[in-house]
Amino acid sequence: MTTGEIAAFDQGEDLPESLKGTLPGHYYTDPGIFRAEQAAIFETQWFCAVLAADLDKAGRFETVQVGRESVLVARGRDGAVNAYLNVCRHRGARLCTEESGEVRRAFQCPYHAWTYSLDGKLISAPNLTSMPDVDRARFGLHRVHVREWLGYVWVCLADEPPSFEDTVIGDVTNRLGTPDAIVGYQVADLKLGRRIEYDVKANWKQIVENFMECYHCATIHPELTEVLPEFADGLAAQYFVGHGAEFGQDVEGFTVDGSAGLERIPGVNEEQDRRYYAITVRPTVFINLVPDHVIFHRMFPLAPDRTLVRCDWLYLPEVVDSGADIERSVELFHRVNQQDFDACERCQLAMDSRSYKDGGVLVPSEHHIGEFHDWVREYIG
Amino acid sequence: MIFVGELSELPPGESVRVQGEVAIAVFNADGELFAIDDTCTHQDASLSDGWLEDCAVECPLHAACFDLRTGRPSGPPAKEPVRTHQVVVQDGAIYVRESAPVGSAALGAEAAVGEAVR
Repeated sequence: MTTGEIAAFDQGEDLPESLKGTLPGHYYTDPGIFRAEQAAIFETQWFCAVLAADLDKAGRFETVQVGRESVLVARGRDGAVNAYLNVCRHRGARLCTEESGEVRRAFQCPYHAWTYSLDGKLISAPNLTSMPDVDRARFGLHRVHVREWLGYVWVCLADEPPSFEDTVIGDVTNRLGTPDAIVGYQVADLKLGRRIEYDVKANWKQIVENFMECYHCATIHPELTEVLPEFADGLAAQYFVGHGAEFGQDVEGFTVDGSAGLERIPGVNEEQDRRYYAITVRPTVFINLVPDHVIFHRMFPLAPDRTLVRCDWLYLPEVVDSGADIERSVELFHRVNQQDFDACERCQLAMDSRSYKDGGVLVPSEHHIGEFHDWVREYIG
Repeated sequence: MIFVGELSELPPGESVRVQGEVAIAVFNADGELFAIDDTCTHQDASLSDGWLEDCAVECPLHAACFDLRTGRPSGPPAKEPVRTHQVVVQDGAIYVRESAPVGSAALGAEAAVGEAVR
């Protein structure tokens, strides 16, 4: 008995004008494509790695997955943040195995005790003095480029990084209409109020695409749509340039029940007040701006079907320090995150289905996702 | 005597390695100069690359600590002391008078070897 080949639903050629094609399903599951994305996107672009304030003193470090590389990000004695490939130059053992921690003086490989200063130089190794021809700078840790912006440490693994202004800041400008619009939120001066990590069993592009559209909002985000009634129309804040979705008339704050939020960030102007702005910074960052806090998502793509998302809720330092109740504001976007990631996981299940071999379709309020698909294709060829 | 360098080139907190019969590490511990054998007695590592804290140096490899005044390790993993050597300062220059090799003389003689330069 044959299974009977069902012809793949061919929708590429003659789609009605209302619909645009998506990427084919295998773009979300194929290890070869994921590898190409690691090499050509995550390892070439500015990648948001660490909240700088988490490295609050010399010797504090975090290790993060950037493409195929583990990257060690650490604060040095001079107060500056450095980033290195997390690989011992001797035999390649992973230097730091913890996700975060603190070293007193140096990074030491647990294999043969090759020891590196916080600024990456090889400072000691067994029998090193009897090898006077070994240049300690040359056999220091491999450095990667570092930039701090919005209070986060961004790293770039490329030899020649792209312009930070044109890529990262460019994405913010394209969304908000001007690079100045984010300044008033004083993001770098805000303080972490809550962090929640989500281990999402979905391809990173599912998560980006989901964040870019709001066609799903009225269906899966009842709380968010209560606060931002225009989301019921299905047009995301990201559909427009410089548009923030307005709070409902009887909504007091960006909270799970629409009750009052916290103290407004002083730099937020009248036009920005009572509005929600959302920005996708390719490849792996979402920034959400509301008058009293900022929600900052960092994604770490780990496998074709697995993405770690770290979501930070940032408030004015005095709000966090005073112990003010942030629960209702955290709860709103925590629910949104759960609802979104559940939806992404549901889509991920079908990506290898024959039904989705040639992909699906985007409705007009999602057409701008096509630009993201073009961007991905441009990088991975 | 072994010429180490100008005193001005070895500020407090710094160390330098010089070659005698064996390698010798010279430290400026907050204004007081000390010299000990440079090689850790636990594994071949240079103590002059280690971390100076008060009157002790911590080996950069396995954190064995040696008292600069006596050469004795404060605890594991090192068990054997390092030799200490006399430091002499003349006309702004630092010299080391190397002790007798291990086994040929009274190792661990509790001579005060620090040279105050304050």
